[in-house]
Amino acid sequence: MANKSLIKKITGSREVLLAVILILLFIIVTILSPSFLTPKSLSDMLKNNAVTIIMSLGMLCVMLVGGIDISIMSSLALSGMAIGMLLKYEHISGTVLPFIIAILIGTACGFVVGLVISRANVPPIIATMGFMYIYRAMGYLISNGGEWASAAALGEFKDFATSNFLGLNCVIWVIIICYVIFFFFMKWTRTGRKIYAVGSNPSAAEVSGINVKNIKLMVYTIMGLLAGLGGALQVAVYASAMPDMQQGGEMDVIAACVIGGVSMNGGRGSVIGALLGSVILATIARALPLVGIDALWQNTIKGVLILVVVVVNVILQRIADRNALRGREM
Amino acid sequence: MAGKSGRSINNVPESPIKKMIFSWEGILVILFILVNIFCAFFSEFYNLSSVLRQMPIYLAEVFLMLPMAYILVMGEIDISIGSIVCLAATMSCIVCNTGAPFIVVVLTGLLVGTACGAVNGLVLTKFQELPTMIVTLATQIIFRGIAEIVLGSGGSISASNTAGFTAIGGKVGSVPYILFLVVILAVIFAVVLGKTTFGRRVYAIGTNRKAAYYAGIHVQKIRMIIYTVMGTMSGLCALFLVSSSFGANTTTGNGFEMDAIAMAVFGGISSTGGKGNLAGGIIAAFIIVCLRVGLGQRNVHAQVILLIVGVLLVAAVALPNIIGEVKRAVVKK
Amino acid sequence: MKKKVISALLCATMVLGSVCSVFASESETEAATEAATEAAEEAGTEAAEETTGGSSAEGQKIALVGKSAGNAFFEVAAASFQETVEAEGGTVEVVYPETATADAQIRVLDNLISQDFDAICIAANDVNALQAKLQEAMDAGIKVSSFDSAPNADSRQVFVNQAGTEQVAQALMDAVYDIAGGEGQWAILSATSQAANQNAWIEAMQSIMESDDKYANLELVEVAYGDDEPQKSTDQTAALVEKYPDLKVICAPTTVGIAAAAKYLQDNGSTCKLTGLGLPSEMIEYTGADDAHSCPYFYLWDMQGLGALSAYTTIALVNGDITGASGETFTAGDLGEYTITDAADGGTEIILGDPLQFNPDNIEEMAELY
Repeated sequence: MANKSLIKKITGSREVLLAVILILLFIIVTILSPSFLTPKSLSDMLKNNAVTIIMSLGMLCVMLVGGIDISIMSSLALSGMAIGMLLKYEHISGTVLPFIIAILIGTACGFVVGLVISRANVPPIIATMGFMYIYRAMGYLISNGGEWASAAALGEFKDFATSNFLGLNCVIWVIIICYVIFFFFMKWTRTGRKIYAVGSNPSAAEVSGINVKNIKLMVYTIMGLLAGLGGALQVAVYASAMPDMQQGGEMDVIAACVIGGVSMNGGRGSVIGALLGSVILATIARALPLVGIDALWQNTIKGVLILVVVVVNVILQRIADRNALRGREM
Repeated sequence: MAGKSGRSINNVPESPIKKMIFSWEGILVILFILVNIFCAFFSEFYNLSSVLRQMPIYLAEVFLMLPMAYILVMGEIDISIGSIVCLAATMSCIVCNTGAPFIVVVLTGLLVGTACGAVNGLVLTKFQELPTMIVTLATQIIFRGIAEIVLGSGGSISASNTAGFTAIGGKVGSVPYILFLVVILAVIFAVVLGKTTFGRRVYAIGTNRKAAYYAGIHVQKIRMIIYTVMGTMSGLCALFLVSSSFGANTTTGNGFEMDAIAMAVFGGISSTGGKGNLAGGIIAAFIIVCLRVGLGQRNVHAQVILLIVGVLLVAAVALPNIIGEVKRAVVKK
Repeated sequence: MKKKVISALLCATMVLGSVCSVFASESETEAATEAATEAAEEAGTEAAEETTGGSSAEGQKIALVGKSAGNAFFEVAAASFQETVEAEGGTVEVVYPETATADAQIRVLDNLISQDFDAICIAANDVNALQAKLQEAMDAGIKVSSFDSAPNADSRQVFVNQAGTEQVAQALMDAVYDIAGGEGQWAILSATSQAANQNAWIEAMQSIMESDDKYANLELVEVAYGDDEPQKSTDQTAALVEKYPDLKVICAPTTVGIAAAAKYLQDNGSTCKLTGLGLPSEMIEYTGADDAHSCPYFYLWDMQGLGALSAYTTIALVNGDITGASGETFTAGDLGEYTITDAADGGTEIILGDPLQFNPDNIEEMAELY
């Protein structure tokens, strides 16, 4: 029992540390540019990074079972492009239907990826790399080889991203709802705990009666579902669907999770961590142009910041481990 | 060739999986022949001389595949190499434009690559618990970022003194130099991986890192060496890339890491570590090159080519597993 | 065990299915290109209807190399290019590199040189990197023209410029002056810091601003780069508006950037207005003279005309009517007579004409076209 509370303390303190990093980042940026810390600016930031923030949840699940998914932005482009073209040629209209279609397409994409990984034992990085090409190419093909669906073609669908509910932007509500659902799902449901069990020790999980294959299939399907949701949000927020949208964005999602303390070997990570990680990344992206850094230097500084954050995380973890060890020896 | 000695350190020596991998090279050779027959019928321009002429720019990526195979065998990944290629190409063009002798240019390219690889290696060995993917993701952004800063606005540089680059891009008859170099290096890398203690240790690390460490293998030293060599080879790739473009820009080498990984994996090298050998990787590289050249000569849409590569990639890994499952199921019955 | 067999079979069918879809999609692309050609026909590039006696493109095989697949902006010009050449009796192969990089274009060029093309017309992803391959092509007797963005002077015979750099810069500068009311702060939101076209326009705008007192009261506060990604462009626009509360105009000479900025400014009801270069179909929602719209008017060139002129230029090169030397003139079908002039980079170019203005009066009509 004592051991359990110890682990809890460490993981607990990990998120506290991340929160401290985030608050420090906020303070520094606010000093350099006071307009950063206004409700409007923050809501802009969340809205503009909604896709990454939401998809980190799926990546969290995938990484918890020790997997990785780099096909997500291709699924996003495929589902987003599909509803874009459907709206453009007036096969569908409204707001709810496109969301449902995008989510269904995303889920199907994720399900196929999950099947290949769980049933054919293909290493996740390879399978998702293959599907990254496949889904992206399918996205191009359904766009008639490069058509865009622009704001005018999207009708009332794009209004979703500009309308408010109870004083908050709808996109932000989607983020909140997703996080609340996942928070409960991961912490208090049987399935949620099974994901952790599979990630920490697959053979132990197997022996204790968990169907590891089905859990793996499920996490990739969840990831696909969120990619589909991300596709719909991307199209709504930017009021345009292009076949090359978010190319390379999967790395941001992975980085958000790793910064948030999700282990790439599986078994460790939390919903709060994913949130903090993706918000830290969003803050960096928003702050770099605000504080007046030369455009040429922005990429390098972003890379260095990511490296610094993960290294600092490791160092803090080592200190925490050492303290924990010392505590045990006494 | 290397199959008997060091392909996989497995506690069940005669597992069906091992047999499957053993025959994978055979399948690849058949596939290679099939692809060539297909391309010859598919494109009227597909012949030995056109393939040899178009080959160099693809072969530059094989340089990346060789050390990448080692990294994959260790169960790790390096996604920063495309950016290393970019930085090395940029720096060698800059040095070339100062009028330095060509040997200095070559050294610059190799040294910049080596230095970048060493940075990766240092961070990864000092902070062993960091996943390689995230570290190389960060350095990917950083190395390309440095190239962007160096190139400034405009983001493109052309090598003014192209004599040296033309020379290394030259040919013996119609066979480009790069093909010889690729073959020589491939043999060296394959022999080191398959026949030497060093290679065995790499497999050991990939199979079980902790066990390898307790068995007295200097895991971190080996990782450091491999990541540094990865950098050097990226520098070499950069030089040959410049020899076909006489310049560099901020997008140089973009996506090469994925191409290199795809070649290795298609060749049967497992990304979870401990399995596969370089012979497969090299045959696979040539299959991909021929397929791309052949499809490209009929101007098949680039995205469709990528789609085919994606399907091949998934199928290459999934099919043996599925066949294995089926076989096992049948045997058990 | 049965389960395993079934799942294995399932996977096998799936892989087979994806293989089948490859071939299905191939025919799909063919259908798509056909559809695109048809659309172009309907849109009616009259230029191609009949030829004015000049030399035809009978039997010519021309390759058009784009910057990357999936660019609506390029598709319009490509369709018109194809239309024109086919009307003249030639054939066109539109080829895209797999990514928007010079490396990928080199592979495409390698492929094209292996085939017996008469000419290559290319929109280059990099100024310098294609030189070796394009020279190899020219040595092999293939004519090389370029349009949209030019490779350097040594790697082409002639460049079809959509609109003179000076003219674009002047039009944008006047738009900024007009929208800002003659004074105040303004900013530029560009593509990447390396984009050659954008950098040339920005430089020209800056030199116009310095050389003419008319613009003395305009203050260019920042050049930001949105990398042609909606997300980053939005971040950059937001940063500009927050940093400079008195900002009057943002000028975005890039299609993705202008749409992202227009959306951000319009959604936030910002007082800052927008102009630049954009696609009418992307911008129709944001264009209007009142406060409810973020963009009073913007520019682009005649994409269809660009495609057609590039086609005629390439045909003329193959026929030997022109060699790409400065001072030569030729007849470009219904587009009229064009003269080759010296370009700023030491090569030669043909300038299509002035940029077109898109305003609330004509945007509905133009959005139908592109």
